[in-house]
Amino acid sequence: MIIEDGRVVASTQIGELGALLSIYAPDVASRASAGQFVHVRPGTGWDPLLRRPYSFCRIDRRGGEVELIVKPLGPGGEWIATRHVGETLDLLGPLGTAFVVRRDTKNLLLVAGGTGIAPMRVIAEQEAARRSVTLVMGGRSVAYLWPSDRLPASVEYVATTDDGSFGIKGRVTDVMPDLLGWADQLLACGPWPMLAAIGRMRDDAARGPVVPGRQALIDAQIAVEQHMGCAMGVCRACVIVTANGNARVCREGPVFALGDVAFEAGEPATVGLT
Amino acid sequence: MPSARVSPEERLEHAAEGEEERDAVELASLDGATIIEAATGEPEEAVATPSIAIDAERLADAQIVTTKEETWPERGVDLEVDAARGLRLKNPVLTASGTFGQGIEYAELIDVSRLGAIVNKGTTRNPRPGNPQYRIAETPAGILNSIGLENPGAAEVARVYGPKWAKLRVPVIVNVAGYSVDDYVFVVEALAQTPGVVAFELNISCPNVEGGLLFGQDPALAAEVTRAVRETTDLPVIVKLTPSATDVVAVARAVEEAGADGLTAINTVLGMRIDTAKRRPILGTGSGGLSGPAIRPIAVHITYQVAQAVSIPIIGAGGVTSADDALEFLMAGASAVQVGTATFADPEVPLRVIEGLAAYVREQKLSSIRDVIGAALPNGGRMVPRG
Ligand SMILES: Cc1cc2nc3c(=O)[nH]c(=O)nc-3n(C[C@H](O)[C@H](O)[C@H](O)COP(=O)(O)O)c2cc1C
Ligand code: FES
Repeated sequence: MIIEDGRVVASTQIGELGALLSIYAPDVASRASAGQFVHVRPGTGWDPLLRRPYSFCRIDRRGGEVELIVKPLGPGGEWIATRHVGETLDLLGPLGTAFVVRRDTKNLLLVAGGTGIAPMRVIAEQEAARRSVTLVMGGRSVAYLWPSDRLPASVEYVATTDDGSFGIKGRVTDVMPDLLGWADQLLACGPWPMLAAIGRMRDDAARGPVVPGRQALIDAQIAVEQHMGCAMGVCRACVIVTANGNARVCREGPVFALGDVAFEAGEPATVGLT
Repeated sequence: MPSARVSPEERLEHAAEGEEERDAVELASLDGATIIEAATGEPEEAVATPSIAIDAERLADAQIVTTKEETWPERGVDLEVDAARGLRLKNPVLTASGTFGQGIEYAELIDVSRLGAIVNKGTTRNPRPGNPQYRIAETPAGILNSIGLENPGAAEVARVYGPKWAKLRVPVIVNVAGYSVDDYVFVVEALAQTPGVVAFELNISCPNVEGGLLFGQDPALAAEVTRAVRETTDLPVIVKLTPSATDVVAVARAVEEAGADGLTAINTVLGMRIDTAKRRPILGTGSGGLSGPAIRPIAVHITYQVAQAVSIPIIGAGGVTSADDALEFLMAGASAVQVGTATFADPEVPLRVIEGLAAYVREQKLSSIRDVIGAALPNGGRMVPRG
């Protein structure tokens, strides 16, 4: 990873999801992969202090550009989200692990919730020409969905909304059973409750008979969103519990095997002082 | 700053184009080997479910940034200090415990061999899983943390990181935490022979399991831990003061008396933030430790007070972001400083502090950085024994 001053070349509001920033940062772009993230400094001073992690939402290695979706959460997120064209952003990255699409995958199922669309869009763009791709995206309402005109035309787009304002009324997990039989591989990114629900589907499938789609669930990869401090693996602010013990989302993640994440274990719970 | 690097794991994962990158990963798994095995030759531990996680630490050896000493801006300037009795460092800039991991992580980004020394993450007798989430929250010009001393335990730290420290070309100070006097002694014994280790820093901001109070709140308890460790090792022993003590100066005097070779001032300041939507504290443990520029004036003040009460060297810590911040601590009587939280925002801060101090010595035409130690004290200087 490196530190690079990127230059904002475009900024567009994507409904309620956040600002979509296009950033010219050739050194970061040339090293980036879907699922990885950059840690962005909110200004040049010390208040706000912490960088904010954003997953790549587009990677254009040849053009030297990356895109990020930035929700204006807190003073730091707000500062980053409101950068104008021509301004610079201090990027640390790319950081963390990446999704791995298997070479023999013919039918690829992507599931996204909220800003979890970011890595799924990167994969949709990279894979659309190579295999059949279906993207399921869920949101509170139509304003929280990714616009279909910003996806490759060949990608099948299935939308769900909590309020039924667009697509199917319900959750992503309501439509997934119909699509799993088709899928050779499943990748997902979104809020913890969504990933935990997919984790429960996996547990049920693992206990059940061999049916189409079972293997896709068992081998699924997910990217986890988490609060971070350093994003360099030193502070241990970002850990979750996995089959291999505590894992740093910034280092061993953010991409994990779905079956490795101990959703039921919750967080480690031992009292101590730092 | 020469920090642009591609690591082996990146090379494996992110070859220039998508298809190549997958090929590398798939080849790695073709013959039953994992990505880690393919990269390091070490077999991965058996796990119940297939893991795609990459342990960056196992790959870290090849990723260390190195630069030529001839190119260092601080070259030729006398920045040498005694950060503690018997601990002479090439410059007075260290990285603070808990903010620099085991030294190898940021070594992928900056040349850590330029640092005076690094202090590792708090190390305990047994492995500790740490505290429940959330473990970190932002505050005005600072952060609150409640990590809970998550670490693999003394034996594992020695086994895994000793060989890496030997190659880092920077002195390592082991930060020791414990819940009884025996715990501290155990950790020091386990790490005293480890390559790279030059001193111990005792984190006495831990509750004593018998007494309940923090070791660092009670001069007698603090002295007892110091004495026990002093008798265990010949390496310099530094005691890290907590601002939670009612009388920090009394604790400083007591540990000096008990044989401490130096002091670090200060550890984090207790604090809390409330999530007003959920009507409960943000941190999983409720309260946490405040760090960053927000606590700098507190830390400078404690340094200033302690410097007048003891004659062993002091390492200042708390909110250092620049050479000017470091100079505040030095002029208040510190012989060195630690950079902590600022590194999270800008990993290049520790090196820039070194460069800035060198520039200051040149501009002010000083013979060495030692000339400013204690310059702001009432008697206008601080004489600490050298060597
Ligand atoms: C995330 C985090 C973890 C820390 N862990 C330790 C620790 O394990 N042992 C220790 O003695 N101090 C620990 N500290 C305290 C720092 O070493 C330092 O004393 C304090 O943060 C003040 O310096 P700063 O403002 O430059 O960060 C930790 C601080 C932070 C922010
Ligand atoms: S954010 Fe610091 S270890 Fe992951």
